Amino acid sequence: MTVQTSLPRRPARAAAPASGPAIELIELTKIFGRFTAVDRLSLTVQQGEIFGLLGPNGSGKTTTINMLSGLSVPTSGHVKVLGYDVRRQTRQVRQLLGAVPQETALYEELTAWTNMDFHAELFGIPAAEKKARITAMLELAQLLDRKDSRVQTFSGGMKRRLALARALLHDPKLIYLDEPTLGVDVQARRVIWDYILGLREQGKTVLITTNYLEEAEALCERLAIIDHGRLIAVDTPGHLKQTYGGRVVELETQQPLAVVDGLRALAGVLDIKQDGAHLTVNTTGAEHVVSAVVNLVSQTAELRDIAIHEPALEEIFLRLTGKALRD
Amino acid sequence: MNQLSYDLRVIWACARKEIQSALTERFATALGIFLPVNFLILFSLFALSGGLAPTAVVMADSGPLAQQFYQAMAHAHSFRLQTAGAQQAQALLQSGQIVAVVTIPAEFDTSLAAGQPVQVGVQINNLNTDFTNDIRRAVPLSISAFYAQAFPRAVTVTADEHDLLAQDTDYIPYLTVSILVIALMVGGLIQSGTAAAGEWEKATIKELLLSPASRWAITVGKMLGAFLMGLLSTGVVLLVLVLVVGVWPLHWVAVISFTLLTLLIFTAYGTLLGTLLKQRQAFVALALATSLPLFFLSGAFGPISFFSIPLLELIAKIFPVYYAIVLQQYAFHGFNLNTLSVSVNALVLAGYALAVIVLAVIVLRRTTVAN
Repeated sequence: MTVQTSLPRRPARAAAPASGPAIELIELTKIFGRFTAVDRLSLTVQQGEIFGLLGPNGSGKTTTINMLSGLSVPTSGHVKVLGYDVRRQTRQVRQLLGAVPQETALYEELTAWTNMDFHAELFGIPAAEKKARITAMLELAQLLDRKDSRVQTFSGGMKRRLALARALLHDPKLIYLDEPTLGVDVQARRVIWDYILGLREQGKTVLITTNYLEEAEALCERLAIIDHGRLIAVDTPGHLKQTYGGRVVELETQQPLAVVDGLRALAGVLDIKQDGAHLTVNTTGAEHVVSAVVNLVSQTAELRDIAIHEPALEEIFLRLTGKALRD
Repeated sequence: MNQLSYDLRVIWACARKEIQSALTERFATALGIFLPVNFLILFSLFALSGGLAPTAVVMADSGPLAQQFYQAMAHAHSFRLQTAGAQQAQALLQSGQIVAVVTIPAEFDTSLAAGQPVQVGVQINNLNTDFTNDIRRAVPLSISAFYAQAFPRAVTVTADEHDLLAQDTDYIPYLTVSILVIALMVGGLIQSGTAAAGEWEKATIKELLLSPASRWAITVGKMLGAFLMGLLSTGVVLLVLVLVVGVWPLHWVAVISFTLLTLLIFTAYGTLLGTLLKQRQAFVALALATSLPLFFLSGAFGPISFFSIPLLELIAKIFPVYYAIVLQQYAFHGFNLNTLSVSVNALVLAGYALAVIVLAVIVLRRTTVAN
């Protein structure tokens, strides 16, 4: 669903460029006292992309998006949103930006409608359009029947949906969602994911910060892995797995193997786990490794089953940062 | 829609949201309204309890001179008198219901007529020197007053009093007008400060800061909402003042103008402090901790020029509470407590209002979110 927004003439409704990056982070750094929260981070997010910022708690994700929205001033570096410099053209950026902060920032003592109405006023949505747009957004969030209920009576998932509906009310070109499914049950998470995927069809650019790998994999076309405020890797989930993950070979034999040391000596084998007749071999992914492993095993035992798969994103993350995502 | 219309829309939206939010928190709203009234009651009780010393008079003689002496005591502005028998008076004194027993002896009239000395018995419950000294001062004063009336020729030294003002102002009406100022201070501060700090505590500040609306419009809107809520408590305090305490203002327009101006200042102060502190509990503690000393310092009980320590007078003049009290005393009673004209006092107060509003806007403009 696309809704046209008419913001006040002055400041002029910021026009989003037809092409060019949606977000450009150039050598972005944020230092709090002695702590460097974001360290020379450079990134580009294209228009229409769903882009994920992946990192453990305290890795600098929220600080980065705070600088992106002008809520926090970078110590050094630049941020551009749809061609606008965030520090100098903050108001234009905010007109184009829809934000769903981690805390949702909803007035819980007020009703869903009042929250939407207040947002409409803050963003200067014309009075003539306001009612129809709020109704449409609440309908989209499946909350129209609860429009007169106080937000404090909503579940976590409903609050997230309402926050998302509110962020879309002024028809932003770029939406950022900070941990969009944090504290939400599995069923509600699915609904939110569908909602986010629907945004791509509307041509919106979506930036998500998350520490759920499953979520990053399900939603994001590209991912940036950051840790200690530094960019570790950026690519599509598939390429990240190919580049950093290699292949995992699962073998099931008739009887437990006695050639494990020989396997371990093969070039390209990273790690081996043996559980009776079941063998898990992590490899670098080089082409010859998988066949070498299978050959060696088949020479000493009867193979019952072979499975070759990519490693989970969790393993990639572990390899790149040396720690689990939710450490 | 031009920028001004947009800004006005934001101001009204923020004000309306403040009121809606405040009204959902009924207990806090009720507290916000009645806390200032509570101050009025509290200080009135304080003044009442310390005003007149409850005293029993044992009239062992009921002749005209004895009656005249009783009347002299009644007009001394120090006693709350009651007549009692000797035994009853003792019982009242022992049970702590009165501070003193004054006994007019038998043959009071006869002795005086004969030119013989008379001793008026005074028994004091001296547990509190404030009351004790009242009695010690007031009984001799009553004797002098009695002599001046009963034997004018015997008293050769008398006071030739010339009053500065047309009429006396009782302590309670004087004090309650000052209390109106503290009510405005506490009401305005609490209403706006808790709302401002609450935005940070509940993280809803991001909704405001992420919008393209001007920070000044947001700040003014928030102040307006708190100001309108503050008017509720102000109305209640004014009603109590006029209808219950019975203080009728000489200049109604001035009362309303200075009241609105004072409320505006403290609403802006609350917004400023709430934005800086970002925590409601810390804000309320600070607001109450500063309000009370400022109230006592700023001439609530009498002109600050009566202070024996000049530094205190200087400090009082730094804060707007002092000027607000000066202006309200003028509006209610018609006198000016300082050497500045009423217009200059009002201008000083208006200057404070403007300065605090500007400061609150600057603070919100410069506000960033760490995380």
